[in-house]
Amino acid sequence: MESIKKQNKLPTIVGLAILLCVMPFLVKIVVGNQYPLLIMCIILIYIMAVTGLDILFGYSGQISLGHAAFFTVGAYTTGLLNIYFGLPLYLTIPAGAILSALLGALLAYPASKLKFHFLSLATVAFGEITYYFLYTSPGGFTRDYKGINVVGISFLGEDYLRWYFFLLAFVVLILIGKISLINSRVGRAFLAIRENTHAADGMGINVRKHKIIAFTVSAFLTGLAGALYVHLIKYISPETSMQKQSVLFLTMLLFGGTASILGTILGVASIEVLMECIRPLQEYQMLLYGILLLVVIVALPGGLNGGIKNLVSNRRRKKAMKELEIAAQAEAEARKDGDE
Amino acid sequence: MFKILLINGLIIGGIYALIALGYSLIYRASGLMTFAQGDMITLGAYLGLTFFRIMHLPFFISFLLTFICAFLVGVLLERGVIRALLDKNVIPIYIVLATIAVSYIIQNSMQAVFGTTTLRFPQVFGVSTLTIFGITAQTEAYACLLISLALMLMLHLFMTKTIFGIAMHGAAMDPMAAESCGINSSLTTGITWGLAAAIASIAGMLLGPMYGVYSTLGSVIGRKGFAGAVIGGYGHIYGAMIGGIILGLIETFVAGYWTGTYKNLIAYAVLILFLFIKPTGIFNEQAIHDV
Repeated sequence: MESIKKQNKLPTIVGLAILLCVMPFLVKIVVGNQYPLLIMCIILIYIMAVTGLDILFGYSGQISLGHAAFFTVGAYTTGLLNIYFGLPLYLTIPAGAILSALLGALLAYPASKLKFHFLSLATVAFGEITYYFLYTSPGGFTRDYKGINVVGISFLGEDYLRWYFFLLAFVVLILIGKISLINSRVGRAFLAIRENTHAADGMGINVRKHKIIAFTVSAFLTGLAGALYVHLIKYISPETSMQKQSVLFLTMLLFGGTASILGTILGVASIEVLMECIRPLQEYQMLLYGILLLVVIVALPGGLNGGIKNLVSNRRRKKAMKELEIAAQAEAEARKDGDE
Repeated sequence: MFKILLINGLIIGGIYALIALGYSLIYRASGLMTFAQGDMITLGAYLGLTFFRIMHLPFFISFLLTFICAFLVGVLLERGVIRALLDKNVIPIYIVLATIAVSYIIQNSMQAVFGTTTLRFPQVFGVSTLTIFGITAQTEAYACLLISLALMLMLHLFMTKTIFGIAMHGAAMDPMAAESCGINSSLTTGITWGLAAAIASIAGMLLGPMYGVYSTLGSVIGRKGFAGAVIGGYGHIYGAMIGGIILGLIETFVAGYWTGTYKNLIAYAVLILFLFIKPTGIFNEQAIHDV
């Protein structure tokens, strides 16, 4: 039996890289205006945000139904720091991510001892509290329901092509960071906690500490995504912290497949493209989204990534079976010839 | 002032109690969380409106029809969606997400059918306001209080005095033991979901005359209702009732005496407080299906 060939991933990666770099130019030429590029930029930002959620849920098994709160807090922090104190963006954007991370750590401390259902309720409550706090802030410092208008990044300006590569760099760095985190001791601790918290505890893993780390890193990434988002769109309102957005993030994560790099990318890209496709239907957009969501959940529980993995493994299995059959037949023939 | 706040607190508390009841019933029977309850309220309000205003049926008949229709929707949800997902052995979060999807579907289909303007319930009773114990309030508000209390009482009697109710209770406590006693636990689970939906729809029909009917009527109240369930102990039926009333009272009194701007925030603050400090609630309900 020949040994299983080791998969050579390099050509795939190179091919993907070339595709990613060439795609925006093609899109711009084919479509003519910048709108699809904007969508691609938003996809990149959501990939960052959902990667954060993946670290929390996909790898550590902690459900968060209020993640949009971190996204919005990151956005508001950078916007308000810029508006009120005139701080430059290269300070406010990290500040947004850091404040979001601190909030995550703060939430994680008591939340890390909650079990599944209760944790999800706590995150829902957290998301709602954030929403109402932003909506009717003390002294109106968040400009309440009106939202805030912020400046864009000056050297990127209005050129979404530049934004695309700027964000692509971020996404690549974050994904590399994610891979190294997963392969590190901390990452393995996450997986252990996800599979069986008690066993992990028994193996000497400080469960609480790692849960807090997961929350903090997750909040940092999602907050960073939010901070970049607000400077791309140049506007943020409390609505972005509503449950709808949190559910969208979770949908993207689950649709693509949890605990995987490709899954996050596929999930975000497909859901966002889908949303754009049904956007012209205006009032039926959310209805279709709900129906689609339900259909996908019932029909494809592993997400796209799970579906693809199944497909690939099925084909490989069939190929191996066929080879076995051919080999067995050849042997039978040889034996018959030998007998004669 | 105190008396007005007390009555209002009890009224909204009654509504929260009904919602929380649904959550605890479902959790007890299936060990699952659902985000669709809030939209069962909305559904109930719209159904009630259809029967009462558009089809001009008498109020009591509309009431019963709404109850029955919502019950069927609940059973359909359990059989069609929840059961299908449970059979596939998916991770529990998918089921929660599925209920969220159902909630979106209900919300937006109501919006598609009825539009986005707030519809008015025609006056149900002859007199528009009543004065009891020196407190004047809408007649519908008093009716709401009365009906929610009556509903809780009927549910209590159903669960403890009727054979079927006891069977449901048993199936919820231990499905395998119940099955070996001859109880069809799959049937009782379906009926539990139906019951929860029907109760929520009644809450919707009670809210409709007070607040008008719009597509997001139930969603905020539905989410806040979680707090009521957690306060009493998530999964504890009577705890849910009491927790809901307590939540209503806390919300109204804090809004009345301290600040009205953060009224909606109060419920979530209470929820998070209880989750962090005493997740098992007042009645020390240990979570039945633990991860």
